[in-house]
Amino acid sequence: MKADTREVTLLLVEDDDIDAASIERSFLKQRIGNSIVRAHDGIEALELLKNGAITYPFMILLDLQMPRMNGLEFLTKLREDSELHDTIVFVLTTSKSDQDIVESYHKKVAGYFVKEEAGVNFIDVVHMFENYWRVLHVPTEPRPV
Amino acid sequence: MADVDQTDSIEMERRGQLVRRGSLRWVHWVVVLLSVLLTLGIWYFSKNQVVQKNQEKFDRQVDQVIGLVEERMHLYENALSSGVAFIDANGGETNYEQWLAYANSLRIDQVYPGINGIGVIYNIAPDQLESYLARERASRPNYRIHPEHDKAEYWPITYIEPAGPNAKAVGLDMAFEENRYTAVKKARDTGGAQMTGPIVLVQDAKKTPGFLFYTPFYRDGKKPETVDARQANIIGVTYAPFIMSKLMLGTLASEKRQVRVRISDKDAVLYDDNDQEIGVLNIRDMSPLFTKVVDVEMYGRIWHFDIETSQGFRNNSSIEQPFWILIGGLMMNALLLGVFILLTRANRSALDYADEMTLALKEKSERLMKTNHDLEQFAYVASHDLKAPLNSINQVISWIEEDCDDILPEKSREHIDMVKNRCQRMMTLLKDLLEYSRVGRFEYSNEPVSLQKMATDIMFLHGTDQNFICEAPDVSIDIPRMPLDIVLRNLISNTIKHHDQDSGVIKVTYTEQSDGHSFRIEDDGPGIPDDLHDKALQMFQTLQPRDKVEGSGMGLAMVKKIVEHHKGTFELEKGRERGTCCIIFWPFE
Repeated sequence: MKADTREVTLLLVEDDDIDAASIERSFLKQRIGNSIVRAHDGIEALELLKNGAITYPFMILLDLQMPRMNGLEFLTKLREDSELHDTIVFVLTTSKSDQDIVESYHKKVAGYFVKEEAGVNFIDVVHMFENYWRVLHVPTEPRPV
Repeated sequence: MADVDQTDSIEMERRGQLVRRGSLRWVHWVVVLLSVLLTLGIWYFSKNQVVQKNQEKFDRQVDQVIGLVEERMHLYENALSSGVAFIDANGGETNYEQWLAYANSLRIDQVYPGINGIGVIYNIAPDQLESYLARERASRPNYRIHPEHDKAEYWPITYIEPAGPNAKAVGLDMAFEENRYTAVKKARDTGGAQMTGPIVLVQDAKKTPGFLFYTPFYRDGKKPETVDARQANIIGVTYAPFIMSKLMLGTLASEKRQVRVRISDKDAVLYDDNDQEIGVLNIRDMSPLFTKVVDVEMYGRIWHFDIETSQGFRNNSSIEQPFWILIGGLMMNALLLGVFILLTRANRSALDYADEMTLALKEKSERLMKTNHDLEQFAYVASHDLKAPLNSINQVISWIEEDCDDILPEKSREHIDMVKNRCQRMMTLLKDLLEYSRVGRFEYSNEPVSLQKMATDIMFLHGTDQNFICEAPDVSIDIPRMPLDIVLRNLISNTIKHHDQDSGVIKVTYTEQSDGHSFRIEDDGPGIPDDLHDKALQMFQTLQPRDKVEGSGMGLAMVKKIVEHHKGTFELEKGRERGTCCIIFWPFE
């Protein structure tokens, strides 16, 4: 069964308000109806996920450099979690460091994007999501019962 | 890297040489050893010389001592022989008065020092005794022969002069004692002078060794040819008694000699310097330098001379000279060694000092390198991190512009443009700063670069103005591409940016020198006054207001830094009326 991808929620984990606003702005501009939930760091994101504040289906756009709990630490926690371990995560960061890229894919991210290459207001990433969701299949339930 | 290794190994080798100079090496030891050998050689030679010289001196003195004794005995023999001659001349007779006169005329005490007296002994047969005694008692009533003995003949001392000291000897019969008797018979039989063995003279109160010296005379004043005839015709002997020590004192002036003498006859000691009180110069040397034993035939006896060197000989022997030569030489060797040690120590401390300095310099340069690195790191991080908020400002401003497009008054639009412009300027500045700090962060290797193509690409990318032309020679050179690209790009863009005309020509010329590349980049722009050249090469310096000509002020500073990072030189040609000419020397490697 195909879930309606218009329902996919994007959990945006980003400490920079302007970057977050850029994404939201581009979503609006492209008239993408999917809802965006914003978390300022890894801890807040985990809380939101545990509280069930994010409705399924969802995926995560993750920044790496953040206070309290950074992106890689968040990824580790996420992959250890019995319910959340198969969540689809994309990384959007300023870091071009090989170490960060390798580490991220090691933690099974679906894609790694660098902010300065992502176009004005990250429009390229937004386009990617637009197209991605249009053809994407995800399970209706997070886990077969 | 190979070069560095080679330099290092040369350095290490030179340091190794210094280290070796910092300790005594075989050459030092060889010099010291040779010097010691030389010293020992000289010592040995001089010692031999001294020993030889002293041996000769000793031999001479031995000969002299023996010669003197022999000579003196000859003199006494002559005295006795002349006594015989006197008696012979007197027809084989003499009496007390005649002998007294004769002896006095000899002046014994002056002419014959060491002699105790001179006298006459008659050989008397028992049947002649009465007439003999009668005759002598005629002039000397107390005359008597003594002591008694059982021999068949008498050899009494009849006259002896000077009489005083010899009174005890008058009338003494030689036959009473073996030594005296044997010698007198031997004198009779041989017809020549004879000595007795060692005896003690009756007139010597000290009972020291002495001897008698006989010379025979015969009937008619003639010496018979055969022993029998001599025995038949013997009348008597002239004789002289000697006290050995007295004789030797008169013979050998001990002050002048440096040898000590001991004379013995068979086992009996006749004379020994050790028994005498003698001069200070000739004191006994307990371990004499030389000794010699000589047997000398002396009128029927064998005199045994033991001669040894004295303290005086030792003092005059220069025997210590070789020792002092040795000591002096060894001290000089020690000094030589000391000099070597001091020299090597000086070398070592110089090396230590150099090492210390090197270490200090190394630490300093490491600190400096770290500081430089930190600065570059800082510039990199700062410019990088500054870009993010700047981007944000730019972004937010453009959102405002978009969102308020309909309601923005014209004045606000201008302000927004000004903000965007300043953002752009700062982006450029940060980009240049980032690039500047990157110089030296990466090392580029040489690759073939076509100068003409590079110039064309830069002009193409610059793009803004087609009225500018860049002429570059069609050569391919081996050089790090990226740094040269940044240099040319900055210079070209500088020219276009600062040109006061709408069109211009940039001329790049290249010459290859023996040790590097030489570039001239010349333009026909307004140029930079000579006195502003230094300023133009500083960071963040622009010669025109920022609002008139956009620029970070980093261009020439960056070019200079890149060229100097590659150990080259960058300068602006002076004394030009128009146009700027940059001269770059870029060494190979």
